[in-house]
Amino acid sequence: MTSEYLLDELASGLTPVRLRSARRDGMMVGALALIELALFLMMGFHRPDMAHAMAEPSFWWKLVTLGLLAIVAVATAVRSFDPAIAPHRGLRWAAWLGGSALLVGWGIDATHHASAPLLARLEWRAGVGCLFAMVLLSLPMLIALTVLMRRGAPAHRRESALAVGLGAAAWGAFVFFFCCGHDDPLYIVFWYGLGCVLTALAGRALLPLVTRW
Amino acid sequence: MRKDETDQWGAWMAAAQGGHGGAYRRLLGELRQWLLRYFARRLPPGQVEDAVQETLIALHEKRHTYDPARPFRPWLAAVARYKWIDRLRAMGRERTDELPDTIGIEDHESDVTSAVLLRDLIARLKPAQQQAIRLVKLDGYSVEEASARTGQSPSLVKVNIHRGLKQLAAIVGQSPDDE
Repeated sequence: MTSEYLLDELASGLTPVRLRSARRDGMMVGALALIELALFLMMGFHRPDMAHAMAEPSFWWKLVTLGLLAIVAVATAVRSFDPAIAPHRGLRWAAWLGGSALLVGWGIDATHHASAPLLARLEWRAGVGCLFAMVLLSLPMLIALTVLMRRGAPAHRRESALAVGLGAAAWGAFVFFFCCGHDDPLYIVFWYGLGCVLTALAGRALLPLVTRW
Repeated sequence: MRKDETDQWGAWMAAAQGGHGGAYRRLLGELRQWLLRYFARRLPPGQVEDAVQETLIALHEKRHTYDPARPFRPWLAAVARYKWIDRLRAMGRERTDELPDTIGIEDHESDVTSAVLLRDLIARLKPAQQQAIRLVKLDGYSVEEASARTGQSPSLVKVNIHRGLKQLAAIVGQSPDDE
């Protein structure tokens, strides 16, 4: 097929298109996220000792870290579906945020839990349950972002996929945080961190296969 | 690429997004020239035309991602770069077996024009590509008619024809001479 023929074919029968808008995509994702959180809380999945937990610094550490990480990663992902916008700076911000969260968590741990035995604090059985719940809760966001990624034109597909995985993972962990009764920073770092890393890596590995354009 | 030139391209693309085929045809013609120069500096000569066509199709499929309020050049360059890297990766995955000395050099014209063989070849394509090529190229339907019969959008019919024919050419090129 010659290029001239291709050009004629592409131009003939051209129909108007609805322009992609990062703001509209972001609002859709935000609405979905809030609906998921509202449904989760309305179904009674929140810790009974919420008022007591709010007095603990680890509560606010989890809330702020996961919320910010989800916002940064999701915003990075949505913006990167425009081919002219690279996700690298957003991913660097997310990495910086993760590192800062570890430092703060270490500080909280040093003042509250430093004397307890490490392995006992990880509570393997409960931890695996938390991990499973977090991954499950990340799926709505993961699916929504994948649909938007397929409709967009990410020119850095692998990095965008990583941002999608990280954003979905952080949001899943954020929603789960409201029902998780564990406040030990070591437990949080290990299991929440593992959940985020696994989901982000799964996104990085799988999404490029279904979002090729 | 001059600034006023890319401003004009941005205006044409904005018109194309609204369904203006004439502006789009002019834009594609100029983009083709730009892409030929772009890929000629970055790819082996035998790959340039394919890369240009792939990029034109990508620009067509993703034209809704261009924001008319922003400059056209970064958007165009990002898409071209993406297709260039994609092609480089594909080249890296391709096997580079040495050709045997005894390989035949006859052309495949008779094979391609054989109706039976053509049917077999088409059967190797994806179902959507098979449908599009059969209806438009063999049965003589228009793109719109094929679109109505298959449920594919007209753009998708065109893309499937283009990719299917390209795939057919690749299959024919890879076929042993005794087929």
